[in-house]
Amino acid sequence: MNRLLEVQRVSKRFGGLQALHEVSLQTEREILGLIGPNGAGKTTLFNVISGFLPPTSGRVHYDGQPIHGHRPHQIVEMGIARTFQIVRPFGDLTVMENVLSGHGLSYYPSWRAFAERFRAPGSESAAFDILEMTDLAAWAKAKASSLPIGLQRRLEIARALATGPQMLLLDEPAAGLTTQEGEELAALIRKLYEQDISLIVIEHNMAFAMGLCQRIVVLAQGQIIAEGTPAEVQSNPAVIGAYLGSEA
Amino acid sequence: MPFMQNLSNAVVLAGTYILMAAGLTMVYGVLKVLHIAHAAVYTIGAFIGLLVFTWAGNFWLALAVAMLVSGIVGVLIYRGTYHYMLDAPRTVPLIASIGMFVMLTDLLQKDFLMGPYQKALPAGGAGLPRIQTSWFSLTPKQVLILVVTAALLAVVYLIMTRTRIGLGWQAAAMDRDMAAAVGVNLNRVIAFNFFLGSALAGAAGVLVGVYNNSVFATMGDLPSYKAFIIIVLGGMGSLPGTIIASLLLALVENLMVASVGYVLPRDAIAFLVLILMLMFRPHGLLGQE
Amino acid sequence: MFSGYIISVAIFVGIWVTLALSLNILTGYAGQVSLGHAAFFGIGAYTSAILSLKYGLPFWVDFLGAIVVTGLIGMVLGLPSLRVRHDFLVLATMGINFVVVAIFKYVDFFGGAMGLINIPAPSILGYSFRGGIPYLLLVWAFATFTWLVSWYVSKTWVGLAFHTVRIDEDAAAAVGVSVPRFKIYAFAISSALAGGAGCLYGHFIGSLFPDTFVFVESIVVLSMVIFGGVGTLRGPILGAIILKAAPELLRFVQDYRFTIYGALLVLMMLFQPMGLIGDDSFLWRSLTRLFSLPGRGGSRGGGVEEVGS
Repeated sequence: MNRLLEVQRVSKRFGGLQALHEVSLQTEREILGLIGPNGAGKTTLFNVISGFLPPTSGRVHYDGQPIHGHRPHQIVEMGIARTFQIVRPFGDLTVMENVLSGHGLSYYPSWRAFAERFRAPGSESAAFDILEMTDLAAWAKAKASSLPIGLQRRLEIARALATGPQMLLLDEPAAGLTTQEGEELAALIRKLYEQDISLIVIEHNMAFAMGLCQRIVVLAQGQIIAEGTPAEVQSNPAVIGAYLGSEA
Repeated sequence: MPFMQNLSNAVVLAGTYILMAAGLTMVYGVLKVLHIAHAAVYTIGAFIGLLVFTWAGNFWLALAVAMLVSGIVGVLIYRGTYHYMLDAPRTVPLIASIGMFVMLTDLLQKDFLMGPYQKALPAGGAGLPRIQTSWFSLTPKQVLILVVTAALLAVVYLIMTRTRIGLGWQAAAMDRDMAAAVGVNLNRVIAFNFFLGSALAGAAGVLVGVYNNSVFATMGDLPSYKAFIIIVLGGMGSLPGTIIASLLLALVENLMVASVGYVLPRDAIAFLVLILMLMFRPHGLLGQE
Repeated sequence: MFSGYIISVAIFVGIWVTLALSLNILTGYAGQVSLGHAAFFGIGAYTSAILSLKYGLPFWVDFLGAIVVTGLIGMVLGLPSLRVRHDFLVLATMGINFVVVAIFKYVDFFGGAMGLINIPAPSILGYSFRGGIPYLLLVWAFATFTWLVSWYVSKTWVGLAFHTVRIDEDAAAAVGVSVPRFKIYAFAISSALAGGAGCLYGHFIGSLFPDTFVFVESIVVLSMVIFGGVGTLRGPILGAIILKAAPELLRFVQDYRFTIYGALLVLMMLFQPMGLIGDDSFLWRSLTRLFSLPGRGGSRGGGVEEVGS
């Protein structure tokens, strides 16, 4: 069983707008950065991979299986979890309950969803482990909506982690964070990688992406314009042009 | 019944639907609230129209006063409830709207207002002539509905496109926060919106009351249900969509009743249409999302 | 007789408590605002009435039949919720209510506008009872059962999944919740319980008329849930008790029943949208402070634990 994610010539059209054009990439067991100017289609690509949008054409395979066109919850079941660019915590629920909701993946598809309490010791301790790993343990009983945005971002990662993914798609996790918070986030991401989770990170913050990712893919106007190590990409004139051409 | 006659009957029927639905879609456009209490405004319009006509004997005066009162009631409803709920989760104004609807409808049935029985509104065709062509004929009452509807729609169109407040509404319908940011006085736009929409509903109430020569407290229920169907069909917030959807619904209803011996009443057909629409084309025929 | 009247009122209250609790699972937990609950109430009532009247089946079969049939139909009628949300769903459920009542009214099999009469009283072990204390116990036993189901759901993963669907469908999908499936679950459970209440209603009154189940009655049940505190286990009970018992016991209120319902809803939405004893309500916070209960209103705590308590 490999953990290869293959995106094959995926295009996505919204009416007159071509958001993605023949995007192809492969990733397995790495921290892959996905960068590009605003509107490049990065989140759209995530939406296609994670099942929130069907591709207009092209295919996505994971573990050798086609996953394009599947529903989001099915993709999570296959082992790919994601976070959202604008955080979407379950505000009414506590931090602990948010993480538990991810843990529930093992129960939702079967009759066990009706048979087991979600506050069982096993689930709670597993959720607590994740809270500790993401440094949110102190906030376990707080309502998610009461958290500051930086912590809400971490909560979103924690919740995605609770689903037990093999691959994690992070959409601009560093947005709005201070340098200190950014470093803590990078450390967390590296820790996840060491725990055998592959990651794709969309990032707008160039420094953050370059320092963290092993490989970078650059998207501009729906197409891949460069690929390679951070050093290679950084000195690529097309990349510089794309960023200068749109906005800083 | 020959097709053209059917068609002209449908257009007349659509006229009343349009007036009712237009107000609803206008409110939805800006507030994103299902203004279920709209039914009460329609009924109040009919009631006031009845009172004024009984007192003064003049249809046009009755219509004008009814529209004015309905408009004011509409604004009062807004200022009393929705105004405070603009930022609340969507269920809050929805439930408040339901509450207003239930309360007003019940009050209207009390003896000191409309009472539980129907009353007559014998305004006839208000002096308008009968129209007779080789394809179809229209009774004076039907002509009345067409004339009033067309005139009101024309006025609404002019207001919407030529006045500042109309443009403000269009902006607010697209994006409320942006509109406020560029200086649109939301409060005034919304209040005016309610006034206009409610006045139209009041007019519809008077017209239907005259047409059927009958005014009663629950007369707003069915038209408002149909108005909801229409605004879904036409795309919530779209005025042209509302007009087309009204015509379509009226046509379908007329044809259904005329050609098919119905198993379910005509009104249930409208609801089936609604459910099917919601299942397959929730954004209406013309609406965008 | 005076106490006979009180017992009747208590029976009605018990039936409506069941209706409110069952709607709460659909609307309060899973967030599907439904204005069609009276339709399920009616389907249960008519199903059990037909089973006993036309097929002569014993009461327990009618009762279980009402529950199962209504639950199954509820799953089908819940399908629009998979396509539409919020306002559109409200309209769809209104429409469903309307169509269901129209079917009762115009299809002869259901008695048409004249309704069904002479529904047999339930009999257990040869003992037949239509009212009085035995029936009261029966109704409240089912109300308690409904409460237990609500409580159980709120403690299990199903309940947690329901809440995720209510708060944010996309985020729910992102944690592996199959939103369509859980919406159908919610409709199934909620409608089945309402169907049971319908059976108890029909066999108590002895006759059924289509207009009992019109859209306005759906509003009544919804207002009980909202008034008491949507999403809590205690709110719908209080809401049903107050809104059902008051008109029955106070003559003046009876005449202006709907005016008061309506006004209450509006006032609630203006001042306490979370309900009389909802989590953040003035009353609940005062009560928990007074008795130092572990309840936590406001932003320092809350969540499903509170909701389920």
